[in-house]
Amino acid sequence: MHGSDNTAEEMSVEKNATLDAKGLMCPMPIVNLAKKVKEMKSGQILELIADDVGAKEDVPAWCSRTGNTLLSVEEEGKILRFYIKLK
Amino acid sequence: MAEKFCMVVAEGSFDKAMMPLMMGNTAASMGMEVHIFYTFFGLKLLKKNAKPKLPGMMRFFTGMMAGKMKKLNIPSLDEMMKQAKELGVKFYACSTSMSMMGIKESELIDGAKVLGASAFLNMAFDSKLTLFIG
Repeated sequence: MHGSDNTAEEMSVEKNATLDAKGLMCPMPIVNLAKKVKEMKSGQILELIADDVGAKEDVPAWCSRTGNTLLSVEEEGKILRFYIKLK
Repeated sequence: MAEKFCMVVAEGSFDKAMMPLMMGNTAASMGMEVHIFYTFFGLKLLKKNAKPKLPGMMRFFTGMMAGKMKKLNIPSLDEMMKQAKELGVKFYACSTSMSMMGIKESELIDGAKVLGASAFLNMAFDSKLTLFIG
């Protein structure tokens, strides 16, 4: 096994779009997320970037409530990256 | 069919104006059908161009609070209201409060529907969640 196989870059999710919600407080990341999802197609993957501390709990809650799949979350200091697969 | 979420707003201060819109816009973004019933002092918030203030002596600091919110990138009350309409949030005015407060239907925001308690309760009974903001 090669040590380089698991670098963050190689593991990064193939995304169809990115929504940058940095600097926005609750509920704006969620409101903008719902708006963005409406423009996208089923099965596509959206990357959501947020730095509102509430987003850590809010985005998974939104996903479970709306039936979309949260593939992964990456945390880099205050920045959160969510990868959401649309239903 | 979408699940229903109802709120009753009974106070007319700035904070009571913001809270139901924040909750309502979030719930609508989560796919819920949102209904907000404005009654007693809360009804003032449904007037066109309502400019509510913080409660009591805090009212003098309303501008300061709005300024701080702007700095934090939080949408203004007008922006939240516009968003709510775009998201399909439904607004209702309590008919008795309208007579009590001397507010005419023409003074209410566009799209607000006048209801009595029984019509609102009928919606609340069918909803998954009802919150009282007061």
